[in-house]
Amino acid sequence: MKDQIGGNQKRARFQALCQSLRPDLLRFAFWLSRDRALAEDVVQETMLRAWKAQDSLQDEAAAKPWFLTIIRREYARCFERKRFVTVDVDELVAREEPMLAAAEEQNLAEMRAALFKLPDEYREPLVLQVLMGFSTAEIARELDLSCGAVLTRLFRARKQLRVLCGEDTSMDPQE
Amino acid sequence: MMDCAQYRRSMLADPHDPDPRLREHCESCHDCNLFSERLLRFESRLERALRVGPASEAAASSDNVVPLRARSPLRSPAYRKRMLAMAASVLMALVVGGGLWLSAPGASLAADVVTHMREEPQAWRRTDVPVPNPKLDNVLRDSHLRLAAGGGAGMVSYASSCGFRGHQVPHLVLQTDAGPVTVMVLVHERSPKPVQFDEQGYRGVIVPVPGHGSLAVLTRGSAADMEAIEQIAHRVLDSIVWTG
Repeated sequence: MKDQIGGNQKRARFQALCQSLRPDLLRFAFWLSRDRALAEDVVQETMLRAWKAQDSLQDEAAAKPWFLTIIRREYARCFERKRFVTVDVDELVAREEPMLAAAEEQNLAEMRAALFKLPDEYREPLVLQVLMGFSTAEIARELDLSCGAVLTRLFRARKQLRVLCGEDTSMDPQE
Repeated sequence: MMDCAQYRRSMLADPHDPDPRLREHCESCHDCNLFSERLLRFESRLERALRVGPASEAAASSDNVVPLRARSPLRSPAYRKRMLAMAASVLMALVVGGGLWLSAPGASLAADVVTHMREEPQAWRRTDVPVPNPKLDNVLRDSHLRLAAGGGAGMVSYASSCGFRGHQVPHLVLQTDAGPVTVMVLVHERSPKPVQFDEQGYRGVIVPVPGHGSLAVLTRGSAADMEAIEQIAHRVLDSIVWTG
């Protein structure tokens, strides 16, 4: 009986953890895949894997990177399972347009379209930094890169994004 | 000594880098100051742009089970089977767990608090300069409260009366060991029980204040754990003197 109560409490706690993190996990998966349906699939599968492996999460404070690692692996598995066809970015933007522009000003929609056009290697660290609040060291750990490489990618990501968004880049430094 | 190119490269890599050399350069260089202002505006737009629909939908939903949507061409039958298994698993856990979190209020309130914070990135600076007392008093007066002198809330480095859900509310930033911590006194927002959230790089709590709405306390990044944030929230609550 005691074990059952303990188990129930543990499950409830894990559910609460999933609930608090799920919005950001979905956003991360979306920006990783640029596909809403796929992002939802990936997060579903991630939750399932996390549920099964919850005992391996020793520290709740480390839950976010733990989930993100599962998401990245699960996303990679999608590519292993299915050979994706190359798609035009404009087609991707058009397909996700209702969400990209949902109830937001036009300039946010433009920014989102620009994010779609950013190469994966630049978009991913940028999303980890801006959306997930990761430090450079945390991004480096997650992506298995040096801190210098992460900073270079972040620099290039913002530079490209600013050009794509038609920002005044006259004050931007050269590489 | 940092030059302008180094400064701007660093800022483009991380506009919120707390390196004091960056701040020094920015304060001494008019052009870089202008560059920073523009970049922070761009960054604020970027932050809002990244906050796309699926998550807000999820945050607004009281059901943690992702709705199964129309079949995507990318999904195999086996994949859908796993999805259904997951949905069943989560549903079962909800029942077993007594639906403790199903009734958790404030998910959208937390989202609104985070959104508000993102729109005021300048408030997050780490500094040892306190906000002048008259300004702090003015901000708090409209909400009928003040902070007790010598209270344990900590040094207030930023105070502003902000529009939030149709009301003016005090938005304070405290400098703590865990870095800058934002406090919003939400006298018009009731929260029946404490709510924790960890969203978009912000971690925080909303705690009920009997008779006075609720209090939101949040930090940016992962420097502080929930326990530390809750302790800060309770210190702030202990320091508040209600005047009306």
